[in-house]
Amino acid sequence: MWDFLFQGFAVAVSPLNIALVMGGALLGTLFGALPGIGPINGIAILMPLAYTLGLPPESALILLAGIYCGSEYGGRMSSILLNVPGDAGAVMTTLDGYPLAQKGLAGPALGMSAIASFVGSTLAIIGLTLFAPLLAMVAVKFGPAEFFALMIFAFASMSAMMGKDPLKTLIGAVLGIIIATVGVDSGTGVLRFTFDMPELYDGIDFVVLIIGMFAISEILLMLEHSFDKSSDKQMAPIGRVMVSMKEVLSCKWSMLRSGVIGFVIGVLPGTGASVASAVAYTTEKRVVDKEDTFGTGDMRGLAAPEAANNAAAAGSFVPMLTLGIPGSGTTAILLGALMLYNIQPGPMMFSEQPVIVGGLIASLYLGNLVLLALNLPLAGVFARVLTVPKWVLVPCIAMLAFVGVFQLHSDLHAIYLMLGIGIFGYLLRKFGFSLAPIVLGFVLGGLMEQNLRRALAISGGETGILWESALSIGLWIAAIIVMVAPWLLGRLKSKSAAAQ
Amino acid sequence: MSGAADRVLSVLLLGLAAFIAVQANQLDVPFSYDPVGPKAFPMLLSGILGLLSVILFFRPGPGGSWPRGPLLLRLIGVLVLLGLYAWFFTLAGYLITTAITAAVLAWLFNSGPVKAVISGILLSIGSYLLFTYALGITLPWGAWLTSAA
Repeated sequence: MWDFLFQGFAVAVSPLNIALVMGGALLGTLFGALPGIGPINGIAILMPLAYTLGLPPESALILLAGIYCGSEYGGRMSSILLNVPGDAGAVMTTLDGYPLAQKGLAGPALGMSAIASFVGSTLAIIGLTLFAPLLAMVAVKFGPAEFFALMIFAFASMSAMMGKDPLKTLIGAVLGIIIATVGVDSGTGVLRFTFDMPELYDGIDFVVLIIGMFAISEILLMLEHSFDKSSDKQMAPIGRVMVSMKEVLSCKWSMLRSGVIGFVIGVLPGTGASVASAVAYTTEKRVVDKEDTFGTGDMRGLAAPEAANNAAAAGSFVPMLTLGIPGSGTTAILLGALMLYNIQPGPMMFSEQPVIVGGLIASLYLGNLVLLALNLPLAGVFARVLTVPKWVLVPCIAMLAFVGVFQLHSDLHAIYLMLGIGIFGYLLRKFGFSLAPIVLGFVLGGLMEQNLRRALAISGGETGILWESALSIGLWIAAIIVMVAPWLLGRLKSKSAAAQ
Repeated sequence: MSGAADRVLSVLLLGLAAFIAVQANQLDVPFSYDPVGPKAFPMLLSGILGLLSVILFFRPGPGGSWPRGPLLLRLIGVLVLLGLYAWFFTLAGYLITTAITAAVLAWLFNSGPVKAVISGILLSIGSYLLFTYALGITLPWGAWLTSAA
């Protein structure tokens, strides 16, 4: 059953692919560390470049996976050194990371975070290797009705867990699905929402959407922040990146526990690093924080969320590879990247595309080793990236966005569309939406409609088929529980608080 | 006035939902084996979006701050600049448009004029060499050169 892993390592250790995973890890770390970019933006901006190299699909995916892992490593530098989390998953890292840096322990903190990231993601990749093929075997039994129910569950758990505002998360997901309906309807060949513009017949291009949403809107947001003088932060001095064996060993249980927590949460579709790191941090605080030192610069308080969010990042590959349902916004981008190669991830991928799955998993192992080796000695160098001024960064982002879209389409309409989507994305972010649900909706929208229509075609239009099998009933119930539980818990809490 | 922005948003989204419903309703397939057709899914989405935007109207979140004054002007400036970059991208060629756009962008992000010009030129030439020779991407030289030659 694990043949794919051997095939994968055979692919991953080819000189080209090793070079790609190293290059990706390096690029990803740099982009993840850039102020205001963070992992998801980094991948979005670098994705089109992965195509221009004309790589075979497994190599492109290996490069993107290297970038993904690297950006997760790079993303925490600004959390620790500047108290500015690069993305939602890094918020918990600031709690003990920044106090450590203020105490003059920035170097050891960076070292510890690299080790915790390595432990967490390696644990999760082992989990991925063990459980993904088993889950794929179950998933083969999924029919269209079960897939539809599964996607409903994914959106439900996402709205409950992701972001501050569940209502806006749901609206964002629906908007993403709506954007996915533009273009030729694959079932009937009818043009939908194309408004007689030939450029839209194939639908909104994934790269154009991603670059517009992330890169262009980010430029506009950065302009606002650069107007706000109070956002200029002083960077803590780093010193030598040394972390003693004693410190590492004192965190070992925190790292292991958090890695497992992170993996499990990462596997749930729609919930990712931000939930994982929050749960891991609060768990560790309860379990080991006897002297109440969490939040004042405790290494364990840094190791826990770091291990957890990297474990979640790797764990979110499980639903993506076995079910075709991405576990996070970033894996949604990777999924879209695969679809550009006409590869539809799903349960059959383990048997039909062992080279791609195995190559990806093998390069995740290698990528993390590379990252550990890079980050321990070079963290100080990467941290310099944080001081890159906006006026250098922004023209580079604009240039990469334009070249990325232009070389894929050689068409100015695509660039105008990208700018339009950028304005749309900026407005949505100003209204308090996060972009991940929109990407997830866009990636899943087409699949969702296909599966719904396939199910109804089987039943001859009878909607009862959607909740006929035990599996789909279970998924519907799970979706309802996930939606209602946080609200009920909140109610109970406020009641018990009122009773006291 | 808290929540005013979200109320405006909910009205806009409701409008979008209605627009989708009207547009989807015009989709007609003469004959199909597919019992659902292209219409039903957009209609379903329009219904959900409508419902969610009504909820948003009655339970708006706290509004953020919106750009105004000089900041708004700069935002519009950046957008116009990017639009012009796109407009002249193939006409004037990559090198010239990128140098000018990068310089003006840097200046809009408070670099000061000298740094802006130098960084614009460096970025344009450096990235051109990188893309052309390292990544093998063909970038437009510009219509003016091609027509002259």
